[in-house]
Order: sequence, then C-alpha cells, then structure tokens
Amino acid sequence: MPREAEPSINERAFVLQALRENIRIDGRAFDAFRDLELSFGDEFGIADVKLGRTRVIARISAEVSEPFPDRKFDGIFTITTELSPMASPAFEVGRQTDQETILSRLLEKAIRRSNALDTESLCIIAGKKCWNVRADVHVLDYDGGLVDASCIAVIAALRHFRRPDVSIEGEGVTVYTLVERVPVALAMLHHPLCVTFSFFEGGEVVVLDATLQEQQMSEGEMIITANRHGEICQIAKLGGVPTDALALLRCVDVAVAKVRDMSKAITGVLEMDAKEQDLGGMTAELSAENDR
Amino acid sequence: MPLDTSTYALALLRLDGRRWNELRRIHAQISTQAAADGSSYLETGNTKVICTVAGPAESRRGGGGGGAEGNNASVQVEIGIAGFSGVERKRRGRGDKRTSEMQSTIANAFTSTLFTHLYPHSTISINLHILSQDGSLLAACLNAATLALIDAGIPMSDYIVACTAGSTSTYSSNDESADPLLDLNGTEELELPFLTVGTLGAGEKVSVLVMETRVQVGRLEGMLAVGVDGCKQVREILDQVVRRQGTRMLESVVG
Amino acid sequence: MTSLKRSLATDPHASNISSKVFVRSTKSGKVQKIGDAPADANGVVSPFVLSERPAGTKAFPNGHYLMPDTNVFLNAMDLFEQNSAFYDVIILQTALEELRNRSLPLYNRLIGLTKSEEKRFYVFFNEFRLETYVTREHGETINDRNDRAVRQAAKWYGEHLQQAVKASSKSKVCPSIVMLSDDKENLRKAKAGKLSACSLKDYVSGLDDANRLLDLISASREGQEARSGKVELFYPEYCSLSKMMTGMKAGTLHQGIFNVSPYNYLEGSVHVPAFEKSLLILGRDNSNRAVQGDVVVVEVLPKTQWKAPSTKIIEEETLNKNENADADEGEAVMTEQERRALQDEVRKTQGKSIEGRPQPTAKVVGVIKRNWRQYVGHIDNKSSSIAKQGRKQQTVFLIPMDKRIPKIRVRTRQADELMSKRILVTIDSWDQDSRYPVGHFVRSLGELETKGAETEALLLEYDVQYRPFPKAVLACLPIEGHDWKVPANTEDPGWRGRKDLRDLLVCSIDPVGCQDIDDALHARPLPNGNFEVGVHIADVSHFVKPNNAMDAEASMRGTTVYLVDKRIDMLPTLLGTDLCSLKPYVERFAFSTIWEITPNAEIVSASFTKSVIRSREAFSYEQAQLRIDDVAQKDPLTLGMRTLLALSKKLRQKRMDAGALNLASPEVRVQTESETSDPVDVKTKELLDTNSLVEEFMLLANISVAGKIYSAFPQTALLRRHAAPPKTNFDELANQLKVKRGLDLHTESSKAVADSLDACVDPHEPFFNTLVRIMATRCMMSAEYFCSGTQAYPDFRHYGLASPIYTHFTSPIRRYADLVAHRQLAAAIDYEPLDASLHSNSKLAGVCKNINVRHRNAQLAGRASIEYYVGQALKGRVVDEEGFVMKVFSNGFVVFVPRFGIEGLIRLRDLASPEPEGVFDAEKYVLRTEGSREVRVELFGKVRVRISDVREESTGKRKIKLELVG
Repeated sequence: MPREAEPSINERAFVLQALRENIRIDGRAFDAFRDLELSFGDEFGIADVKLGRTRVIARISAEVSEPFPDRKFDGIFTITTELSPMASPAFEVGRQTDQETILSRLLEKAIRRSNALDTESLCIIAGKKCWNVRADVHVLDYDGGLVDASCIAVIAALRHFRRPDVSIEGEGVTVYTLVERVPVALAMLHHPLCVTFSFFEGGEVVVLDATLQEQQMSEGEMIITANRHGEICQIAKLGGVPTDALALLRCVDVAVAKVRDMSKAITGVLEMDAKEQDLGGMTAELSAENDR
Repeated sequence: MPLDTSTYALALLRLDGRRWNELRRIHAQISTQAAADGSSYLETGNTKVICTVAGPAESRRGGGGGGAEGNNASVQVEIGIAGFSGVERKRRGRGDKRTSEMQSTIANAFTSTLFTHLYPHSTISINLHILSQDGSLLAACLNAATLALIDAGIPMSDYIVACTAGSTSTYSSNDESADPLLDLNGTEELELPFLTVGTLGAGEKVSVLVMETRVQVGRLEGMLAVGVDGCKQVREILDQVVRRQGTRMLESVVG
Repeated sequence: MTSLKRSLATDPHASNISSKVFVRSTKSGKVQKIGDAPADANGVVSPFVLSERPAGTKAFPNGHYLMPDTNVFLNAMDLFEQNSAFYDVIILQTALEELRNRSLPLYNRLIGLTKSEEKRFYVFFNEFRLETYVTREHGETINDRNDRAVRQAAKWYGEHLQQAVKASSKSKVCPSIVMLSDDKENLRKAKAGKLSACSLKDYVSGLDDANRLLDLISASREGQEARSGKVELFYPEYCSLSKMMTGMKAGTLHQGIFNVSPYNYLEGSVHVPAFEKSLLILGRDNSNRAVQGDVVVVEVLPKTQWKAPSTKIIEEETLNKNENADADEGEAVMTEQERRALQDEVRKTQGKSIEGRPQPTAKVVGVIKRNWRQYVGHIDNKSSSIAKQGRKQQTVFLIPMDKRIPKIRVRTRQADELMSKRILVTIDSWDQDSRYPVGHFVRSLGELETKGAETEALLLEYDVQYRPFPKAVLACLPIEGHDWKVPANTEDPGWRGRKDLRDLLVCSIDPVGCQDIDDALHARPLPNGNFEVGVHIADVSHFVKPNNAMDAEASMRGTTVYLVDKRIDMLPTLLGTDLCSLKPYVERFAFSTIWEITPNAEIVSASFTKSVIRSREAFSYEQAQLRIDDVAQKDPLTLGMRTLLALSKKLRQKRMDAGALNLASPEVRVQTESETSDPVDVKTKELLDTNSLVEEFMLLANISVAGKIYSAFPQTALLRRHAAPPKTNFDELANQLKVKRGLDLHTESSKAVADSLDACVDPHEPFFNTLVRIMATRCMMSAEYFCSGTQAYPDFRHYGLASPIYTHFTSPIRRYADLVAHRQLAAAIDYEPLDASLHSNSKLAGVCKNINVRHRNAQLAGRASIEYYVGQALKGRVVDEEGFVMKVFSNGFVVFVPRFGIEGLIRLRDLASPEPEGVFDAEKYVLRTEGSREVRVELFGKVRVRISDVREESTGKRKIKLELVG
C-alpha cells in the first residue's frame, strides 16, 4: 500500500511552532482560502476548479433511464469520485481508501441528501422513465482541501449543465438534441458549499482550507456545508481532538460567511461564461416571448 | 403513523409522550459476553446495540501494516447491522458507505481519547452489533463502545458519551418558537433536522459532531447546547452502570 | 457472564412505566414499529380547568366540558365551528389520531380550532398518561379499544376535576364531563359506568338554537346511513381493444372525444356521429377515469336511464373538501356527497314535464387515446399536513386551473415549499382502485398571482410554445441580420420575377404600436374610371424556405399568440418585426394582389405577383381615420385611402346581403401603464370605419387567393371553412328567445340567422342585441383549416362570411396557414415550383390539424390573458356594474358584465347565509329564491352586480367575485 510521505520531525516542529505564532507557512491568514480558479469547458456541465495546487474537474452527464422501483417519482442522481494516482502517489486505482469513502460520503451528504438538485423534477413518467444525472469528480492534483474543491466543482458544473428538452406524448418520450430545442437547466433548490476547518494544539488553533502538509499534522478536522441562505446542510466532525463547543459554533459562523463569498464568486464566473456562450447577443434574437 | 411531529405544538409533547429535554430510557449492562475482552449491551429506547472489544493485541497484519503509527495502538471498528434491525429487512453490504463512515468516526474519536501510546504496535478492535434501530444510532454505538472499552480495562482520559439533538423547526422556516429536542427516535429523525454530538466526559469538549440534515444556522446553537447537556446526563447514567458493575465485581471478589 | 434477562421490577425506573411498541402494517405490507412508551407518565400536565365559567345547558347547569369521540368529529365538524355553542371541548389524543387517519382536512380544521382562544378547545394526551392509558385486550377490536380509552379518559378526567375544584376551594361548582358519541354501544357502556354521556343529537337538542344546529347534523347523518349501502370500490375495467373494435363496427359502441361540463364536473359529454345530440356521461363510475380531451369509446345506456342535462352547478372543491390525499385502501369510486348531488339532480329531472327532453346517456368502456398533457394548478393546502415537515414525502391534491380536470394526487417531498405556488404536474396513471389520477410534480412556476407565474401558467395551459427558438434556426436567418436590404441592383436573383411597385403610394393600417406589419394597401384611379386596388402582404415565404429548421419550428408553433402585454412569436423577431414587416419608408419584398374594381365595387380582374414596395406611412386605425376625415388633406395618399374606404363599405354591404353574419364576442382592451405594464383600466374595444376598411380588403384578398390556389391545386390547396351549425345547436337559444321575448330565431341559412339576429332588439336595452349575438356565436361551429382534397366542394363554404371558398393569406408573419398559402400561390403563378411536402395530402392534413389546435389555443390564451388583466385592474376595487343573466341553473346563475367583458357565476349560497331556498322554473328560465333572501332572476334579465376581487382563504388565490346588489 503506497503511502503519503510523512512530514519529518523537523518540518512538523517548524510548522506547528509557526502556527503557535499565528503564522502559516504559505503566509495566509488562518481564515483564508487559497486562490480559487474556476473555469468551464466548451460543453455544458464541465467545471474545472483549482484551489491552490489542488485541481478537480467535475463533469455532469444525463441520460434517460428507469427509476428505482421504490422511488417512482424521483429521478436518479449519483456522484462518483475518482482519486487517480495521477493526483498523488498515495491514491491507488481500484481500491477504496478511507479517504475516498469519506469524500464521496461527504459529497453525498452535502449535495445529494441536502436536496441541492431537485430529483423530483427529473421524473419524466413516474415509475417508467426518468433522468439519470451523474456527476463524475476527477481529482487531477492533490494538495489538501479535496472536499471543498470537489464540492465547488460539482455545484458549479450542475449549475452550468443543461439537459436536453423532452416532450411526452402518451407513453412515448421524445428527447430533443441541443440544436433542436434549447436545452433546460437543472432545477437546483440551493447551492451548498463546503468549508474545511483543521484543528491544532488541542483545538486551540483553527485553520481554514489546510494544505496537504497542514492536514497531515492536524489533530482533527471538521467540514461544514452551508448555502448562501444561511442554512447549514451538513456538519462532519468525525472524531479527532475534542474541541470546545463554542469554538465549533464560531467555525460555523465563519463557514457561513465564506460560503456567501464563494457563492458570489461562482455566480460571477457563471455569468461571464453565459455571456461568452451568447455569440453576439443572439439569445435575444432567438427569444420567442416579446413585448407587445 | 398515529400522529406526526406537528402535534408537538399542542401540548409540547412529542410522539412518544416525552417533553423536549427528556432522554429515552437508557438501559446498559457491562460484561455481557464472556469470550470478549470487554463487552456491553446498550438500549436507548428501541435502539439496541451489543459491543465487544478485543485487544489491545498484537497487530494481526504483522510488520508495519496494522499499527499505523508504530508507537501507538491503532483502533479498528467493525459494525454489523442485523438484517432485522430496521423496518424493512435489508442486508447492508460490507461496502456500505454510511457504515464505514460510522466506523471511521468511532475509530477516530477513540484514537484521540484512549491512551494509545501505552500499547505500541498493537490493535484495539471494537465490534458493534446493531440489533434494533430506532434513531440515535451513532450515539448508541459510541456509548456502547465506551462501556465495552472500560470493561476491557483500556485507559482513557474520560468517557466518550453521545446523544442526538434536534429542532422542531424545519430547515426552511426561521420560526423563533422552535424548540430544540433531545434524543430523537427513528420517526423524529425522519422528519426533523438533528445532529449527533459526542463529548468527552461531562465537559464542553466536543469530539464528534455529525449533522446530516439542513437547518437554519440560528437553530444550531440551541441544538448543540441541548446535545451537550444531554451528554452530561448520559455520562451520569453510564457512570452509574460502571459503578454498579464495579461494586458487583468487588463483592464477588470480597464475598 | 451476566444474564441479559431482567425483570422490570429490578429496574428502578420501571415501576411506573409500561413499555409498549405499536406495530402496524403499512399499505405496502411493511411492518413498522412506532414509539416506545409513555415515557414518564406522571409528569404530563393537562389544562384541568379550561375556563372559570364553562358553558352550560339546561341539563348541565354547572357547566360542562365536552369530550367527543372520533365519529362525532367526522360527522359534524361544522357544529364545532359554530359560534353559538360548543365551547370548552376536550379533544382526546385517541380521537385526534383516528381523525387524522380518516380525514386530514378535518384534522387540520380541528387543529385550527385549538388555536382559537375563545373556543377553548384543548388536546388531552390521554394515551401518554398512566391512568388513562388502556391496553388493547385480546380479541378486542381497535375501535372498541379506542372507545374504551375515551370512556376511561372521561371517567378519570371527571374524578380529577372534582379533586382539583375541591382543592382550589374558590368555587364549589364542579363542571361535568360530557362524553359525546353516536355509537349506541359506547353510550350504553358509558352510562353503565356512570358517566354522563349522550349522543350528539340529544346534546344539540338541549341547546338554545337547537333547530338550526339540528339541521347541520341531519345532513351529515344521511351520509352516515348511506355509507352502509353498497359502494363501488373499483372503476370498471376497460374493454379490450378488439372488443371495442368489434363493438364499434357493430354500432353498439361509439368513439368520440370526452368533454366535461365547465359547470358540473360530474357531467361529461361525448359527441358521436350516430347521435344528433351529444351523449351525456353522468357520474364518476360512468365516466370511468376518462379525462377531458381523451378519445373514448362509449356504450349507450338503456333509454330508461336517459336524462336531461344538469341544471345545477356542481363543483368538486365544495363537495369533496374533506378527503385524504393519501389513498385509503378500499376507497369508493364516488364519494357519498357526489352520489347525493347527482341523486338530487335525477329527482329534479324526473319531476319535470316532457319539456325536459331527456338526452341519451352513456358510459365509458375504454380509452383509445389519452390526451393527457401537463397541467398547471396549485396544491390544496387542506390536503397537506399543516406542519412543515422537512423531508417526508407526502401525498397532496393538486387542483388544476382547468375546472374540467379532476384533482390529481401528487407525491412530493416539497409540499410546504410548493404551497401557494403555481405548479406544473403531469398525470402518470389512473388505476382502477384510485378515485383520482396519480401524477408527479414537474416544476414550480412561481408564487400564485404573480404576473410571471400566471402568464407562464396560461401559456402552458394552452400549450403555447413559448420557449426560445433553437440554435438551428439561426442558420436559416439571413447572414446580414438587421442590415439586410432589398438589393439595390434589380439584376440580383432576389428580384427575379418581382414587379417593381416602389412608386405606388402604399400605406399600412394597424393597431397602435404594431411591429409585425403583415399587410399594406393602395388604391389609385385608372383611366377607364375604375380603380386599381392592391393588397400587399409581407413576403415571408422568401425568407422561410420549406423544410428547414425555421419552417419546422414555425409549423409547430402554428401562430403568433397575442397576450395583453406579450407576443409569443411564430417567427424570430428579426424576420417578424424587421425584415418581413412592411415597415414605412423602407423597401420590402411583398406578395401583392391587385384588382381592378369598378366604382360599384365589382371586381373586374385580379392578378397576383411578387413585388417590391415601399410603404409611405404606417397608420394606426385612429390616425388613418383622422386623416380620412380631415377634409383639408388632399394629397394622393389620402385620396387613395378615401377610395379604399368607399369601396370597402360597398364590399361590406354586398357581403351582408349575401348573408354574412355579424357576430359578437365580448371584447375589451386592457389599458396598461406604459412603464410597469400594470393594468389601470379596462375599456371595451371601439370599432372605427378604418377597422372594417382593412378587414374587407383582407377578406377580398383571401377569397381571391383561395380561388386561385384551388384552381391550381384542386387536391392540395390549404383552405379554411366554416361549417353550418347543426340546427339543434340553436334549439336552446331559439327556445329561450321564444319563451322570454317572443322572438323567432330562423336558422335555415346564415342569411336567415343574420336577419333574425338583426330583429332581436329590445328598445329599452340596446345591449340585448349584442348579448344575443354573443350567445349565438357560442352555438356556432368553429372555423377550421383543411386540405381541399379532404372535403367535397360544397363543404368548402364559409358559413359566417357567406363565401363559397376561403383561405388565410394576409398574415404570414403570424399564421403558418398563410405561409403555406403563399407558397401555393407562388407556385400557382409559376414563380417557383411547389415543394413536395405541399403536394402531399396527408402531410397537409397533419399541418391543418396542428394549426387548427394552435389557432384555437391562441384565442383561448389571449382571452385568458385579458381575463387575468381585468382581474388585476379590478384588484382592490369594488365596482357596481350592470350585468345580464346568460344562463340559469337550479342553484345559481351566470351573469355577463359587458363593461369588463367578464362572466361570473353567482350561486344561491352566495346570495345569503344560510342558503336561500331556490325554486327553479326550467321552462320559463326563472329562478326564484325564498327564505333568507328573496330575489327573482330570469334569463336575459338585467341585474346590478357588485364586482370585487377576493382572496380565497383556502388557496390564497385571487378571484373575481360577483355579488347581486339590490
């Protein structure tokens, strides 16, 4: 089993001493994210996220399939994550590590369970046909902050994605190509984003968006998912160093503020992209609804 | 369903007749399994868990494998959920992500409270068997594991005690009249936002905090406070169980 | 090793705890364990003393607390909501739980009552109290156990109350606990146990206004008795396809489209060729899951079961408001209330003389084709649990906007977010064992009553294609975009075969602000004394070539839809409002029809040509009228317009002489504030001479073109016809006119109809004529497009216009039919070859079918939009206006208000409360009421109504409400 190289004792002492003196190795404030870079692919539903050196690509695809028999009125939405050895030598193909399980579980809770994507709107004919929306998360480079980056990628990609329009006649379903009919955006109920906090010094020092190195030395972490309406979608402090309850509540407030900022940033990039897609204002030309 | 959680407002009584700050009855026993190094049986309401602990023992996977950090003991958790434990008979596969998340949560929580440095190159394995589920499952597992670890005689800084706390409001509404609720049963968990909190002893130090439902940020503080308070009560109950067991052991030795 | 066995006695907490686990099987057969136990039975406090001075009756002078059982709530919830009685009620948890399972809406009402301070309703959680908890005994039914629990609670509460009163020593009077139940056995046992108990009826008899309250019970009691009768649990099974086919061949079964009456949701009708009158389909079991618009196969019922169409308004909302959305097992097809409503109906028809003219009735035995679409509606908030339940999936009722569509069961996890929203659902299935169809939520359109949501709702309801044009259309537009110009060089291929008519003084006349100008006109004198008149139509077929993406899109959309503030285009705006539009001062391609007309408006010759024109001016109707009327204007353009006006009047007279009908439909215009487009006022449309000027020449052009393309393509010309209505259509109106006004309506020909309509005047009431015309219009068939090969020549006739042949040619920007006619005309004059698709009879038939539907929907959508805006303009206002009675039912009548072009229903129960007794004379069309309010309403009568807009409490929806004044 390949493993991440452990930081040496000297490195460890250096980083921790610096943290004690309120300094992070990369010079960031304790509650600062690394630079976020978001771009979209040429097709709908591809988002490329760079958070510092961590890079994640999410791709959304949709096809018509049969719903689960116990959920006749819902479409299917799955998120799959893939940690390839390309990103880090510690990742292995074919074997699920704990980290991968936790990542996919957290994305599941943050996005799927919190109902970010309205699966009821994916139903075409109850019990017979529905949309199967798949989000594939590929980690291309790994330097900590995996959950945060993946979540941004999936949410941005979902917001960018357009599924083909369908019409129903009796039992028959017609799926129109993107040229035949203007494709439809997915119905999103809210846009959850994750913020990871790492604890050091018995929970005395709390650091946001830890790099891989910081993550290896931390005594515990907590991932908070929130949306810009001030709702907490998920909290996961899965063990680790016991930390004061009040400190945790402070983290929640920080997370809510950070999520608001990030949400705004993502919306900005989406708008820019929409403008680029709209070749010289042709969208206005194609609108069928016009003022009298 | 006879009634749903909406009737709470009528008399501030919950589905099963409890008030907001009442725990369900906790019944626990220690040393229930003779073959194990430590064992316990715990019921909170209709949630029933058996826990056995083996070890500390030499790592099975010799060499560097099992004892990940050679100087400390590693904690391994295995959870088995009985097919008949829920409403629907369902077998959960080994790869079930929810189970493995719980496993790693419990392992992480105890790794930082057990004195693992006393047992280098060894493994402590915790086996949990869930016989019946009716809410607060993770909390019950943590409590049962604490008792079994005590039974096994593994030193720890304090008990890890856990319980759930919910809120009568839904995530979308920001109604100020919403009450926090302590120790949710299965039906309530389906309908209301809730979190599981695990503290170290009776203090305010939170080791485990898991929430899987959407809730307004304003509700959170109340829920957490009620949860931490509930943990204090749970610690009291578990402590009595341990003390009773201790007295019994002493009696049997002396007697 | 210690044993896991433990006795409860060893547990320190166990002494006062009984642990119970409810086990119940869910519908799907799962077994569910519920709840743990009364956790701490001693801690539960209930409000022992509800009020200082509880209400009393003669029988209970000390005052009393009522303790009803479940059935009492189920049967007489109305009683509990009365203000005159029923205070101090203790609701037992046992009863509440049972009620919730039986009827969620009633449960919600009861919970509502507990919130009222003055009614003093309290919930006593008897199941959580050790003293009042009872264990179900072996062999005891759950109902018996619950009854026992109620008695136990009554007993304990009574005893406890006495202690409490004694202890407080403030008053010595102790109120008694009165158990209410309609179950005789329960009452007997209660009396044996020395409890004060009585039946609801006995209790109510002791109250002050007993008579009135007893009436309220009796209604519900009837239901109780009827319930024991036989009920259908399933809809009948559909016949197999082969059986239906054989039946249809043999003439025992008939196929037709199922239509539901807008006034009575239990009455449907199917028109089949074999019967002159539509077949009536009464009741849920006969309509057997058919939904408005489905193609069904019906079997005619024996003559003894034939009935007259209903004279009563039956609305689903009021009948079945207490239903549970969650499907119960063994739910009856018809509810008791429905059965009774229909029975009343039957009694009335049987009491009537032969005049009632029974109509054949039928039942649906199969569905050939479902015509289900997506339906817009709102969630019945009574059907959902009031509490906001986070993630639980629940079933709710969707009430469609279209009253003819039944409620739809929808399972959703977002019920509370969807409350008070306009939402879109589809029907998935309608199984035999479900009273209502089952569907799923598609998406939310937004808050109810917001302009965006309501506009989108009506676009969806009328299937208007409002989504943007697909990208593929871009490729079909001229690459120059808005810079496109008529080529300056006349050698350009665009000029091939075109006449240069740029010198003609052409102008267009349209409504104010019209951007898509289809037509322009000119007239000039000829040396021989005749006139040359030209109608120039936008040459859309130059830009929209057959069979490309844009053509496909336009053919699918069929027509541009005009709403009050919006236009849903058939063609992209680049073409519609710019390149094709015959804008003034610029050169445009056109398709011209040019006649030589004598001063007496005789047509000497007609010719058709592609052309290039330059419109001199775009007038509005008002501007054109002013210009014509202004004698100072003597320029050639104005002279030309005067010529056109003079000719148009003569053309019109000729048409009228030939028997063209002058029909009326209620038309109003909504004035909007330009900035916000909020409606500020409603005006009836004014008609100017210039309106009919344009109309006459367009009719002339259409008729000329129709003749031309028919002679060129006798099999495949796209024409428009208007069939003569079957005589029976006018029967009712003729009878009404005869009875009420002694007027005769002759219907042998359109000429006869036109003349008798002209004679329908009431010297005291100028509007009477218009009213009759509106009603006559509703008796007509609708005009339709067709392909000439599918009909015999005599059937080409346009009844309304009294023309033997007709087509649509003059509005190709906004109607696809005109575009097809353009292509056919271009081929007919050898301008270009005809596309293969226009040679195919079957393809054209398909096109016709689609555009007929689109055309009708566009009209309905436009009307609905006006209706919505009229409602908005009336928002917050109360206006008294005069109205006219258009239709009379036995329990209400329909009033038409000309000022706003609205018609509304006034039911007897709207007149006064309690509902006055109505006496309906079906032969005289008179409805008299007695009792609480006495009025006499007759058909065609003028009434004053108060128009206000009210917010419906249950749905949060605004609605125009009419009230009878004076």
